[in-house]
This record gives sequence, structure tokens and C-alpha cells, in this order.
Amino acid sequence: MLMEHAASAALSTPVHASVLWLIPFLPLFGALLNGAYGLFCKASGRKAPSTQLVDLLALGSVGVAFLLAVGYFVTLMGQAPINRSITQSLWTWVDLGGAQVMDGVARNTVAWAYKFDPLSGAMALLVTGVGFLIHLFSTGYMSEERQDGRYYRFMAYLNLFVFSMLNLVLGANILMMFLGWEGVGLCSYLLIGFYFDKEFAAAAGKKAFVTNRIGDFGFMLGFFLLFQIFGSVDFDTLMGMTRSIMARPELTIFGLTHSPTWWFNLAGILLFVGACGKSAQIPLYVWLPDAMAGPTPVSALIHAATMVTSGLYMICRMNFIYTNAPMALSVVLFVGALTALVAASMGLAQYDIKKVLAYSTVSQLGFMFMGMGAGAYTAGMFHVFTHAFFKAALFLGSGSVIMACHHEQDMRNMGGLKSKMPWTYASMLIATIAIAGIFPFSGFFSKDEILWKVFEGWYKEGHTLNLIAWLMGMAGAFMTAFYMVRLMVMTFAGEYRGAGHDPYGHTVKAEGHHDAHHDDHGHAPSHSGHDHGPKEVVWNMWVPVFILALLALVGGFLNIPHSLHWLGGAHFSEWLGPLLYQKEAVHASHEAAPAIEYGLMAWATLVWAPGAMLLAWWIYKMDPTWAKAKGFVAKFPGVFRWVHNKYFVDEFYEWAIIGPCKQLGAQLWAFDTWVVDGMVNGAARFTLIWANISFWFDAKIVDGLVNFVAWLLQRFSGGFGKLQSGRVQNYAFVMFLGFLVFAFWKFLA
Amino acid sequence: MTAPWYLNLPLWVTFVPLLGALALLLVPKEKRRVFELGALAIAIIDFAISVPLWFQYDRGSAAVQWAFSTDWIPSLGVKFAIGMDGISLVLFLLTTFIGFIAVWCSFSAIEERHKEYYIWLLVMQTSMLGVFICQDVFLFYLFWELMLVPMYFLIAIWGGPQKLYAAIKLFLYTLTGSVLMLVGILAIYFLQKKVGMTPSFSIESFQAMAPVILQQTKTFQYLLALAFFIGFAIKVPMFPFHTWLPDAHVQAPTAGSVILAGILLKMGTYGFVRFLLPILPSATKALMPYFLTLTIIGIIYGALVAMIQKDMKKLVAYSSVSHLALCMLGLFAMNPNGIMGGMFQMINHGISTSALFLIVGIVYERRHTRQIADFGGLSKTMPIYATIFMIMTMSSIGLPGLNGFIGEAAILMGAFQAHPWWAVAATTGIILGAAYMLWLYQRVMFGPISETNAKMADLNAREIAYFTPLIVAAFWIGLWPTPLMKVLKAPIDKLVVQIDPTYFKAQALESRQKAAAQEGMAGMAAPEAHAAEGHAPAAEAHGGH
Repeated sequence: MLMEHAASAALSTPVHASVLWLIPFLPLFGALLNGAYGLFCKASGRKAPSTQLVDLLALGSVGVAFLLAVGYFVTLMGQAPINRSITQSLWTWVDLGGAQVMDGVARNTVAWAYKFDPLSGAMALLVTGVGFLIHLFSTGYMSEERQDGRYYRFMAYLNLFVFSMLNLVLGANILMMFLGWEGVGLCSYLLIGFYFDKEFAAAAGKKAFVTNRIGDFGFMLGFFLLFQIFGSVDFDTLMGMTRSIMARPELTIFGLTHSPTWWFNLAGILLFVGACGKSAQIPLYVWLPDAMAGPTPVSALIHAATMVTSGLYMICRMNFIYTNAPMALSVVLFVGALTALVAASMGLAQYDIKKVLAYSTVSQLGFMFMGMGAGAYTAGMFHVFTHAFFKAALFLGSGSVIMACHHEQDMRNMGGLKSKMPWTYASMLIATIAIAGIFPFSGFFSKDEILWKVFEGWYKEGHTLNLIAWLMGMAGAFMTAFYMVRLMVMTFAGEYRGAGHDPYGHTVKAEGHHDAHHDDHGHAPSHSGHDHGPKEVVWNMWVPVFILALLALVGGFLNIPHSLHWLGGAHFSEWLGPLLYQKEAVHASHEAAPAIEYGLMAWATLVWAPGAMLLAWWIYKMDPTWAKAKGFVAKFPGVFRWVHNKYFVDEFYEWAIIGPCKQLGAQLWAFDTWVVDGMVNGAARFTLIWANISFWFDAKIVDGLVNFVAWLLQRFSGGFGKLQSGRVQNYAFVMFLGFLVFAFWKFLA
Repeated sequence: MTAPWYLNLPLWVTFVPLLGALALLLVPKEKRRVFELGALAIAIIDFAISVPLWFQYDRGSAAVQWAFSTDWIPSLGVKFAIGMDGISLVLFLLTTFIGFIAVWCSFSAIEERHKEYYIWLLVMQTSMLGVFICQDVFLFYLFWELMLVPMYFLIAIWGGPQKLYAAIKLFLYTLTGSVLMLVGILAIYFLQKKVGMTPSFSIESFQAMAPVILQQTKTFQYLLALAFFIGFAIKVPMFPFHTWLPDAHVQAPTAGSVILAGILLKMGTYGFVRFLLPILPSATKALMPYFLTLTIIGIIYGALVAMIQKDMKKLVAYSSVSHLALCMLGLFAMNPNGIMGGMFQMINHGISTSALFLIVGIVYERRHTRQIADFGGLSKTMPIYATIFMIMTMSSIGLPGLNGFIGEAAILMGAFQAHPWWAVAATTGIILGAAYMLWLYQRVMFGPISETNAKMADLNAREIAYFTPLIVAAFWIGLWPTPLMKVLKAPIDKLVVQIDPTYFKAQALESRQKAAAQEGMAGMAAPEAHAAEGHAPAAEAHGGH
């Protein structure tokens, strides 16, 4: 009892928990202040708030949140691994009363609580750190919005996003996670549709939200099922109960008896549906390419570095479910591999620089899910981090390029920017090498670790699915290296084609390319007439990109695989270790890494990726006419069209789901009007007709009888009528006669 | 024992609007401003004096509070009995809350016959409040019917082009429901006589009849349940009794729609909570598959039909059908989470849908059209309107952090505990809800703006003022609904026990979960052989108390 008290005391007053809430709430305050003041200014016709003030609030709040996160992170590092958890419960969010769950009655109470532990702490650092750099980039990128008074709105949304994302990662229970989950969806919706006067931007925002809702359908059911099993949605409780639940031979829920693994599989798959929506996996990935309609910093922050990794975070957070759910893991593995391959192939045939990066993101997310599916949570999570660095650098770099090229997004109209934008070029080059997975850039350590773990599943345990997934992953990795070099060459190599200098006829006019008007800056590329060519962007744009590129360069050394232990330790894996569910006790093994691991590593980084890069170099750089690529397109127009249009999946959904839904709606409405309401109106009409018949009956039959009687009376009253002559004498005579009769009768009596 | 009538606060709150209406009768009808401000003042005072009830309410008790009773028709056992429990209280407060907003939003919308309009509005208020304070079925029925009269006139006089059709439809439909309900009430009343009890109309004695009814024939029970079900289902309205609602909403003036959506529809759901569930639990359970089928149809059907509407108001009206069907799903889960969610959905629907009708009313007043196709790009010139519309859209589609989510999540959780497959079907409605609301928002607020629309003014101070309480309420319920849950908890637990006396008898898991939470992350590491075996039974043992 005493120990319990001490433990609960320790739990309720953890180290320095008192200001933990400020990490998420500071950006919220930034958003509220900027949003409210800006809205007030706009509505009352005042001048828009000064952009310096907006910057101060927006960047300041995220920056301080980052520093706080660093502080907490350092605090965690100072503690024993098992104690690395700081919880702060702010208030009881919901208390829904008793609920009958698997074992009895649980009190369905959920607190508004934050939990800073190795996983959520690392994610908080990522969100606030990368978030801050992207905020900084935006101060330069949104220069036009700074002039026209929309800037406050952008920054407020961006801050609101950081708040929601921090709720997602720091939330101490599934409901808090869901709060953030939906919150980032809202912010994504608002930011994709930032240029809301453009139809396509508004439509893309809606598409993102609704597609995510389909995922949420699964997420909610998964979380209801977990509540049914555990009677709680609190991560601590879930973690503490898993082992005793797994120890049972079977669980009975809703009268169905199955093994715990069966139920965990079901919950895991349901939750993964949610992850598919948020992290853009097949079949719910369709919203992410369209999301590029948002401003580029948004693409970098939300659609590359943070929000889309929510699904990965969720699986890592719930690893105690997935580890015990082999079937769910297989689904995750297969979907991840398929997405990695298919999305990478789509990236091969895009000309819009942001679209290439969008498909690349979908594909890389697929790699991360492969890692999760192989049970290598730390490898998957590590790829989340390295990907956040290099993909954010690539997106921001592409933003700089787009801006320098006067809002041109088509790579065919770029070229030759290497000398004009050295910082951007250097940064994007580093990021490209990193994403391709060349040693010792960060992508090598994360992606190859994932692929190795997948391979290991086949090699050591003989799962055929792992081998298939590995082959798909390798193909995806090849394509990744290819399309990235293609992007770099088309953008930076050769000579600038935008100013009319175009010896090989690569450039396309806006009307010729269906995506050209989808410029993310809300206006058609009308500046192409400018005589000055592209030049390096301002410092507050290239510096964040360069920092991210440096992180992409060195980040990999945080998690060096065991086989390369002479380079350093697997700090990241060890850091997350205490949060990972162990089926049985493992004793640190120091067995030598198999030779095949070294072989695959060397193959990937020395042959496979460089081969793909050289191929792209050969096609696009060695031959500036791009004749081979053009020849391929001319030879197989169908294949190109198919891939370029993302295999017509959007069209398929439109035809198979959205159209029928609308049609069904229309039919149901017709049903409502003609059948349901028709019956009501029919009843009314019937009543009216009946009333008319009654009235006719009343008028003709009932009243007819009355009138008939009256008529009869009238008919026979003619004789009497003559009596009423109106002459007084006649009346007097009748009266006298009557008197005589009366008197005579009296007399007789 | 009980306080005399003049010290009974709910009674005052109920009749202040009527007294105010009587006072307004004396004012000459030309004085438009007097009616507007007078009615507003009365409604605000009414709301203000109802607020102390929130603080007076004893949250620990499920009993009827502020009880007051006096003989009315002794020969029939009819009493003038009032009082409220938590369930009535929250709806009572919702009524006074929506009441003053309904008055406030009418200032510019109503252009003729001001005197009658505001008087009817206040009479409406009294009759609605009356329904929630009654503890006597006879009185309940009286207020229930009385409510129809002002609503009829509000639609029939100040409504749109087809106002008469809509008003008569509303009247006949609800009257049909009321008659069926009356049959049910009388059946129970005479059953009391039959089994030799002193006949009484008090709600308590009606609820006490549950075991007696259980001994009657199945047919009797089912017919009785059906009579109540249809009576309330028409009012809710549930599919297929819903077609009066779109017509009534589209034709009603904005305030009429606000009251209709905000409070009137809650009468039906309140009826389920007060009568059908506690009086006929087993018959309801037996008929549950049919009830649930109608509920699920309502959720999906309402959402799909809403999706293709071209008239904004009709869209919101069909979304009401969907939302209230969801509310019914929560109530039919018949467990604390579901009923709590159902109660929250009533309140949330009152807030969000009222706000959405106000939002439609704003553009209607400016453009005299409600066709979605006539709008577009309004965000550009109406930033405050856009913000409020966005908040209420999110509230309506159940974004966590706003009110709608609390209700939806609780309903779906409760439904999942009771009928998992039905909950799965209902969850699809959540997707459709996002689709039609965001599509509406996109078509009205986003895209290029036309010249006519660019001239529309943003909200004025009065409009902002009446939206503010709704927004505050939406955030309050979304972020910190616990105070409301505390008020509702005891009566809901009582109701659950009336339905299923064994519900809370199962083993309590609280202490076991606390122990697990303390173990937390430590539970991840695989134990060295014996440790886990030792721990689980220990936690098990704690669970007992």
C-alpha cells in the first residue's frame, strides 16, 4: 500500500512537469494571437498587422517550444531508461461513466494529458525543430502574402498545425492522439486551401480531409476495440496490461471467443487503416499529390516532414499491439512495400517538381511502413527522422527554385540553376544523395537498415512475404535514385531555359501542360516576361534549407547498425528501446553480423543506387536533348500516360465511389420526394378526395334528403299558403269562426 | 417539505416569457423596436435567472429536484407537478440559451407583424420549457400539444412561399404522433386501474409500472412500445417520418428553424429517454433490431440526401435527420456511454445546427437566395463570417476539440459496446458528414467571387454578438465537457439501472487499471521468467474493491 502511494505520488508529480503543457500550447497562443488580431484588423478595415509582429509571435512561440522540448529531452537523458517518462495531466477531458468492457465495468474517463517519453520527446523535437526552420523559410517564401495582408492567416494556420501535431505526439492517451490526428487534418485542409479563391486548391483541401476521414473510420473502430479489450485508452495502462492479456489463452468480446492475437490483429489492421489515410498509403494516398496545391513550406512541413509520419508514430507508439499481431504486421509490410514501389514509379513520369517530391514522399513513407511491418520499429522511426531532414530540404529547396523561376513548377522550363543558386543547389544535392541512400549520408543508415530488416525476416525466419517486399523495396529504391537525379539534372544542369533560351525544345507553355496553372502560389506564371534571370534566394530561405541538408548529411550517425558498430553506436535504437514490447527476454547478443548483410549493404550503396543515378545521369545529362527519354515516351505513349496520370486511380475512385455515392444521394432524394413524402402527400390527397366525396354525399345525399323533405313540404303547403292572404278581415273571420267552434264544444260538454 | 410555488425558480423561468408576452400585448403594434428589445430583454432575463439552476443542482443525486406539486384534477389523479433531474436540466438550460438567440436573430429578418411574432416566440418559449419541467404526464401532454400552436403560426405567417403547406404538414404530422402517444399514456393509466393501483399521471408512477407492464401479454407490450416509438420518432424525426422536417425548416423564418432544430426536435429524443426506455425496456430491447435499422438508415440516408441538396437550408435540414439518428443510436445503445453521447448530441445539435441555420439566415437576408450555386468565394469579403462558418462546420462534422466530437465519440463508443456491427455502419455516416459539409463550405465560401456577392457585408455587431455564445459553448463542450457530464451522470446511471439492473454489478476494473498504469513502460521489457506471473494476479486481486 505504501509503495503504491509512493509510486502514485511519483507518477503525479514528475520531474519538471509543470510547464510541459507549454510545449504544445505556446504555438496555440501564437496562432490565436495572430489569428484573432489579424482577423480583427481585416474585419474592421484596419491595416494588416505588421509582419514583424506576426513573425515574432509565430517564430517565437515555436522557437521557445523547441527550447523547452530540448530542456525536457535533456532531463530525460539524465534518467534511468525505465524512468524516462514525464506525464502532465491538465484536466479530466471526458468522463462518460461506466462502460461494460471485456472483463467488467470500466470508468470511461480520459484526461487531457501530455506524456513526454523517449518516442514522443524525439518527435516533439522534430516537430518544433523542423517546424521552426520551415517557419523561418516561410518568412521569405511568403513575401507576396506579406504585402497583401494574408500573411497573418498563413502563420496562424502554421502555428495551429504545430499545436495539433504536438498534441498528436505528446498526447498521453489515444483520444488525445486522435485530437491531434484530426487537428493536423484540419490544418492541412486549411493550408492546402490557403489560396481558396482557386477552385483546385479548395477541392484539394476537401479531398485531403475526406480521404483522411475514411482512414479515421478505421482508426476510431480500432480504438473502440482497444477500449473494449483494455477498458482504457491511456497509453500507460495499455502498456502495463498487454502482457497479462497476452498471457490468456483466449479473449471473449461481444460473445466471440478468439485468441488475444486474433483480436490484436483486428485492432492493428483497423488502426492501420487510419494510418493509411494520414500517411498516404495505398489505397488512400490519392490526396497527397493534390495537396501540393498548398504553399511549398506547407508541403515541406505537413506533407513531408511531420503530419504524414503520424501513422508511423502511431504504429511505433502501439508497438505492443503490433508485436503481438503478426497478421497486422504482414498487412503493414505488404501495403508499405506496394506503396514504396508504385509511388516511386509514378515519380518517374512527373514534370512538376513538387509532384515528383510528393510521389517520392508517398514512396518513402511506404519504406517506413515496410520497416514497421518487419517489426523493425526503430529502423522505421529512424527513417521518419532522416526523411524529415532530406525531404524538408528538398521541398524547401524546390520552393526556392520555384520562387527564383517566377512561380514556374515545370522542370522542363527550368535548368541551369546550379551556378545561379549555389546554396540551394548544394543543399538539394546533399539531400538527393541522402535519399538515394549513399554511404555515409543519412538515408543509407535508415533505408538500408529497413531493407535489411525486411530481408532478414526471409533470410532468418523464412517469411516469403518478406522476400517479395524486399524485392519491391529494392525496385523502389532504384527508382528513387533515378527520379531524384532526373529532378536534379532537369532543374540545375545545363542552361536556364526559362528566359527563352531553349535549344532542344524542352519548354512547355502553360496551356500545354495541364498542371501548369496549378502553381502553388495562387496565380498563373505571368512573370515569365521578366528579363532578369533566377538568382539565389534571400538568406532566411537558403539558411534553413542548408541546415536541413547538413542534418541529412550527418543525421545517420545517430543510429549506426550493429554490423557497423566500429563507426559508433545505435543511439536512436537504444533510446527507443524501453518503449518496445519484448515478447521474451532478449540478452544482448554479440554474434557477428552475417556476411550477407555486408554484401547487401555494399551492393545497395555501391552498385544499386549509384547505378540508378548514373542511368538518370546518362539519359538526362549526357544527352541534353533527352532523346532517350523522349524516344521512350514516343514508343510507349500508353505506358507513359498511364504512369504520368497515376494509373488513373483518381479517375477510378471518381467512377467507382464518388460518382455512385452522389448518384445514390440523388436517387435517395428522389425516393424521399416521391415515395416517402409521396406517401404523406398521397395520404393528404386521399384525405382530400375522401373529404370531397363526403362533401358531395353531404351536399347531394344527406342535404338532398333534407331538401327533399323541404321540397315535399313546400309542395304540399301550397293549399295552406292561400290561407295567409294578409287581410285582417279574413283573419278576424277565422278567429270568429274558431271562437264559435270552441263555444259550441264547451256548450256540449 | 417543498418550497412554495413562488420560490420555485424553474417555475418562474418557465412562465417569465409568458408573462412578458402578456405585457407586450398591451403595447401598440406600431412600436416595432419595443417588441424587439422587449422580447430580447425578456428572453435574456429568462436565461439569466435560469443560470443559477446550474449551480443549485445537486449533482450527486438522481432524484427530481426543485419538486413542486399540487392537485389539479384530483378525480383523475392529475397533478400540477414539476421538478427536474439532470437530463431535464441541461435541456431546460439549452432552451433558455437558444431562446434569446432566436429572438436576437429575428430583428432584421422579420419585416411584418412584429407584435404577434415576438409574442408567439415568447409563448413558444414557455411551452417548450414547460415540457422539460413536468413531472406529470398529463401536464406533459398539455405542454407538448401547446408547443405546436406557436410553431404553426411562426411558420404559417412568417414563412417562405410554401409556408402553409409546411405548417399544416408539421401540424398534422406531430398531431398524429401525439395521438399515438396519448393512446400509450392512457393505456398505462388504465392499466394502473386494472391492477388495482390508485391511478396517477405522475411520471414516477408511470416508470414504476415497468414491472407490471412486463407481466402483460407480449402483444400489449409491443403495441405500447410502438405507440410511444412512433409518437416520439415523428418528433425526432426518424426515418421514415422525417419528411415534414425539410419542408418546415426551409419554409420557417430563421428563428423558427433555430428553435425547431435547437429545441423542438429534442422533445422526441427526450421522450425516448423519459418514457420509452425506462417504462418499456424489455419491449424496446425486443424491437431493437427494427429500431436500429431505422436509425442506421437515418444516419446514412440523411447524409447522402444532404450531399446532393442545392438549397443550403435543405442541406442543413437533412444533416439534422442524420445527426438526430446518430443521437438515437446512442440512446438505443442503452448503456452509460451511449446515453451520455445521445444527451450530448442533443445539446451539440442544438448548438451547431442552430448556428448553421443562423449562418444560412445571414446570407439569405443579404441576397434573398439560399441556392448554393448562387454563392462562392465569400471568404474573401466576409472573413468573420468565414471563420464562424468554419468553426460550426467543424463542430458539425465532429472535429475533436469542438462539441460535436464529444457526442459522436461517446455515441459510437456506447454503440460499439452494445451493437458493434451497427456502430460500424454508423461510423460511415461520419465520413459522409465531412463530405457534405466541406463540399457545402467549398461551394459557398471558396472559389472565385462574383460581383454581386462581393458586395455582401460581413457580420455586424449584433450578428457577432449572437454567434459569440454559440461559439463559446461549442469550445467549452469540446474542451471541458466534464461539468455537463457530472450533471448528467447520476440520472443516466439511474436510467441504465432501470433498463438493466445488473449493469453495474460486473467487476470494477478501476484499481486494476491504476496498477497497470503505474507499471506503464516497465511492462514492455520481457520479465525474467517469474516476474510477470507474479504481477498479474496481484493486480487482479486489487480489482475487487
